[in-house]
Amino acid sequence: MVTMVWLSLFLISLTSGCTESTPETTIRFGLANTPTNLDPRYATDATSARINRLLYSRLVDFAQDASPIPALATWEVLSPTHYRFTFIEPRPTFPDGTIITAEDVQATFVSILDPKTTSPHRGLLANISRIVTPSESTIDFFLTHLDPFFAGSISIGILPANLIASNHPFHDQPVGSGPFLFHHRPDDTRLILKRRQDNQLVELIKIPDPTVRSLKLLAGEIHLLQNDLPPELVSYLAARPSLSLQQRQGSNFAYLGFNHQDPIVGKHLVRQAIAHAINREQIIHFVLGGRARPAQALFPPNHWIGTSQLLGYPYDPAQARALLAQAGFNPRHRPTLIYKTSTDPFRLRLATIIQDQLQQVGINVSIHSHDWGTFYGDIKTGHFQMYSLAWVGLKTPDIFRQAFHSHSVPPRGVNRGRYADPTTDRLIAEAENTPERIQQQALYRELQTRLLDTLPYVPLWYEDHFVLKTNEIEGYTLHTDGNYDGLLHVQWASASRTHSQLARQATP
Amino acid sequence: MSALIGLLGVISLVFFLIHMIPGDPIDVMLGESALTADREALRQGLGLHLPLYEQWWNYLTALAQADFGHSLFSGRPIVDLLVERIPTTLHLSAMALLVAIIIAVPLGVVAATRQHSVYDYGSMGFALLGISIPNFWMGPLLILVGALWLGWFPVSGQEGWNAVVLPAFTLGTAMAAILARMIRSSLLEILGEDFLRTARAKGLSPTKAIFIHALPNAVLPVLTLLGLQLGGLLGGAVITETVFAWPGLGLLMIEAIQQRDYPVVQAAVLCISMTYIFVNLFTDLLYAWLDPRIDWQNPS
Repeated sequence: MVTMVWLSLFLISLTSGCTESTPETTIRFGLANTPTNLDPRYATDATSARINRLLYSRLVDFAQDASPIPALATWEVLSPTHYRFTFIEPRPTFPDGTIITAEDVQATFVSILDPKTTSPHRGLLANISRIVTPSESTIDFFLTHLDPFFAGSISIGILPANLIASNHPFHDQPVGSGPFLFHHRPDDTRLILKRRQDNQLVELIKIPDPTVRSLKLLAGEIHLLQNDLPPELVSYLAARPSLSLQQRQGSNFAYLGFNHQDPIVGKHLVRQAIAHAINREQIIHFVLGGRARPAQALFPPNHWIGTSQLLGYPYDPAQARALLAQAGFNPRHRPTLIYKTSTDPFRLRLATIIQDQLQQVGINVSIHSHDWGTFYGDIKTGHFQMYSLAWVGLKTPDIFRQAFHSHSVPPRGVNRGRYADPTTDRLIAEAENTPERIQQQALYRELQTRLLDTLPYVPLWYEDHFVLKTNEIEGYTLHTDGNYDGLLHVQWASASRTHSQLARQATP
Repeated sequence: MSALIGLLGVISLVFFLIHMIPGDPIDVMLGESALTADREALRQGLGLHLPLYEQWWNYLTALAQADFGHSLFSGRPIVDLLVERIPTTLHLSAMALLVAIIIAVPLGVVAATRQHSVYDYGSMGFALLGISIPNFWMGPLLILVGALWLGWFPVSGQEGWNAVVLPAFTLGTAMAAILARMIRSSLLEILGEDFLRTARAKGLSPTKAIFIHALPNAVLPVLTLLGLQLGGLLGGAVITETVFAWPGLGLLMIEAIQQRDYPVVQAAVLCISMTYIFVNLFTDLLYAWLDPRIDWQNPS
């Protein structure tokens, strides 16, 4: 009897913590993080933004060169402060079959602008003074002042007005008109979406450990993973016959940031010396596995304001030593810098390499690694000499004002290094007040040259995006900003063969 | 009463420590481009603008009414998060404990009854390995063998009845190692006792003498250790949960610490502290059940 009780307890325990499995036909996508918020009004992390793109449709999207392009609607600039958006037909529908309307757009933006909502995006849209819906398919946005990047700033998912009114918990149960529907969320590590066009289920699974994520791909338990793997694992997996690797140039900008109020790195000559001391080509080749390209500016050359004319700082240790000498340092009086970074093992490894390269030209570096909250807090409050970070998903040039204008020191902006340069301020203002795109382009290119000269950041590289997938699936395409739009077309390799065979049979 | 005081101490200590470490949840929630007015509004909405002692008092008052609050990030009620995560951790802990006992008891008994033999050295060598191998290495190793080479178990996650086997072994082997050493030393003391010699003299077989008379007497110190270990397991096997993407309490707490999600960290720590207290209480009660000489009503 006692044995039976123990056996029953054992069996109950064995099965009680299990969660349900999805059908075999589900395409499984391994992620390092799950989305923190599926409500586009609140989402700020990259994973949430990428998944929300699948669940919600938006008025405006971005082309490959990051120019804003129509998504749900086209727009006309009726006056510098009056934008009219008109829906492109046919319009998508919400899960209950209702068509997205101007009222939904209005309700979404009114909700974001409502201080009670405490949306992190309110600051970006603070320029909107009024939203009017002249018809069911037209929305007018009135601005308080000229904003040439306005169209790009409203690329936010649209929610149904009736559910906004009823305080629907979108963060947990998203309801949108995007190409995917929320299916269910068995636990915090799994999110299942259904593709509208063919009911294909896609499961997004959080697997925090990169080694385990790789092993799961090898075992066929997930079918694809994108980015967030150490380069050596990428090379190892790419060599497996059951897997294939796809790469694409990315736009995420890695850089070294400096505190411009610091007596050492506040000196232009020291920053120049650092820029010459770092052998970026070598790091890209040996550490990043060639999956990056050197950066000279915030935006890559393929961005609409990007330029390939910037010369940058070639690796030149002799020049670095000479610049340090000019700055008043010599082998007996070496500058000592504190380099702050996160606890991410790969970022730490990069930090030690940069430490070594700077050491070779006569700069002592002490690496301080902190958990993300502490690191980010220190960067924001200016408690650093030098740090490394990356800008992810930059699209519109308004980042220049936020990151480099002298008035944008936190909390007013993200000028964390307290960089102040009147020429930069002037160029930012001129570019923003120029309605003509060609002139704007020229001014922003001049600004980027100025930034490369004055070095508020030492640009490092743009990391490539990659996807590793099993040969069971095909049709996944990578995008420059690393979004997950490839899930729109991914399909089973056998199914696609069947489809193509059927298509061939049907074609005379 | 002492348990309550201990609990209050832990809650307060965690509350003040988590608020002292650098990093502002408002920054993580809103990002740096948010308006100052919005930041302040959110700070006020969450009560983070109040003096720390006032926040602490408000937190204790809410806690007394079983109100754990909401996650600052997902906005979900913390009770819901705990209800999701605790059974998952319980499941893993129970299985790890089972693995530990299944491995530790035979190893400990063999090592004690055949002291200084090859079995003894082999068992203790295994125990040493178990203690020495860190979980972040043992986990991927077991995945490689159990999931990739043999294909018997899933690599990670919670899908299917066998998903718990590898994480349970990862946790269980380290625990088994400590338990086996404890069982061995405890049993060695008992094996020299008179009552056991008497039992053997009465004609009892060595196996029966060990399992019926020696082992129950040797189990008391082991039980203390087991209680502490189980408390640790229920408190969240952070590394194992991270490696196996096992959505338990440990993983929840680590994520909350990284995001500075104060209420979730506090609730998770509260759960862990309560777990320790209850496990210790349960261990004490088990003492009395296992050893009739212990009488809690008449300690004298």
